[in-house]
Amino acid sequence: MSLLNMTLIYRGIVGLILLLVLRCLFDEKDFWRQATAALVLIPLVLRLLMLK
Amino acid sequence: MKFEFKFRLECDTKGTNGTAWGLLLCALAVAWLANRDFAAMKVPDTIIPAANFEEHLLSEWFAPLAGMPLDTPVYVQNGKEPGGSVLVLGGTHPNEPAGYMTAVLLTERARVRRGKLCVIPFANRPGFGHTQPQEASPETIHFTLPDGSTRAFRYGSRDMMHTLDWPVPDIYIHRASGQRLSGNESRNLNRAYPGVPDGTPTERLAWAIMEFLRKEKIDLAFDLHEASPEYPVVDAIVAHEKSIELAAATAMELKGRGIEIRLEPSPKNLRGLSHREWGDFSDTLPILMEVANPSQGRLRGRTDEALALTGKDRAYAKAAGLGRLFVPWDENGKPLDMRVARHLTAIMTFLSMMEFFVDENKVIEIDGLPAYQELVDQGIGKWLTVGNTENH
Repeated sequence: MSLLNMTLIYRGIVGLILLLVLRCLFDEKDFWRQATAALVLIPLVLRLLMLK
Repeated sequence: MKFEFKFRLECDTKGTNGTAWGLLLCALAVAWLANRDFAAMKVPDTIIPAANFEEHLLSEWFAPLAGMPLDTPVYVQNGKEPGGSVLVLGGTHPNEPAGYMTAVLLTERARVRRGKLCVIPFANRPGFGHTQPQEASPETIHFTLPDGSTRAFRYGSRDMMHTLDWPVPDIYIHRASGQRLSGNESRNLNRAYPGVPDGTPTERLAWAIMEFLRKEKIDLAFDLHEASPEYPVVDAIVAHEKSIELAAATAMELKGRGIEIRLEPSPKNLRGLSHREWGDFSDTLPILMEVANPSQGRLRGRTDEALALTGKDRAYAKAAGLGRLFVPWDENGKPLDMRVARHLTAIMTFLSMMEFFVDENKVIEIDGLPAYQELVDQGIGKWLTVGNTENH
């Protein structure tokens, strides 16, 4: 499998997890759990955009 | 129990759509700030080449590198008289500053009288865009110039950037030999030679450097490194069997001048390294050189810019007292000025031996560079060019 295809699949997985965490952030009724979801979002955003 | 109960009461705060949006904006702001820091680390260091240097990119010798972060500047200077050709490669491991700072000094000061000098100061350019995980390395090192201004250079990672070359396999298989190494060596440029033209980014970069050696018909090539003071191959020359005679003569000459250096033959069964594959897959005479850098060592204490620049560390002083090091040590540590002076003096000594041990028509003569003691006494900053290079 080429590096390009692998990268696309990887970013797809990261994007999917990011969407699930976003859904969790907005569904959650407890502020601290929302905060936890927000923290998890940070590395996912950085990985999705391949910044880090 | 009472405290836990109170704490829980205070923390049971209701989450709403409004708080979710607020937290999302905070997370995006933090990601943006982090991105700014990461992006700043990828800005390449500036070099002000001496007159008569032509500036090229490595992709001119291996076109698929064009437009990739792997592409790196190559400086070429031809002397007025014909002679041999030499390549100096710095930055194979961007956490070994004596290697790339020697190449930078050559690029900024060299005046070639005879032959051709080629310098690739930042061979693993993407490796300068990040630091080694869990090593707490400084991001930059600074030098004070004669006019009082400063210039900064990156202190990077041994590995290729992980967003560029991934995933890391459990086991790295060297393609030319089938040799198996730890998976993290897959991103080590100095385990990837002779490279693979359509391989991983690290293998492609290695292939591009091999192409440079072959197409330019480089007679003598240096790969400049640093290593932990407790590592046996340190303050050392590692030479391929083709270059061992030249290296032996150089080592003797250096010892005669009071610069202790050991000579190691390149092991035939350790594959992927420059001192082995450059010699096997091109006509060049390959030389790898190591100096002692305590900021890479396992015994070091606080890791910061001062350690990288001065090489002073109490733990190393103690280890030296216990006879645990492979290099002489005193209270002055191993300053970067001295480490660069060792590399530079060794290169110049090699060049002076070409006439006697290679071919009298392959002589390379270079002026404008500091002598060993000048560099040790005056420091690297004295020999860097003053100019507008504020990029960090």
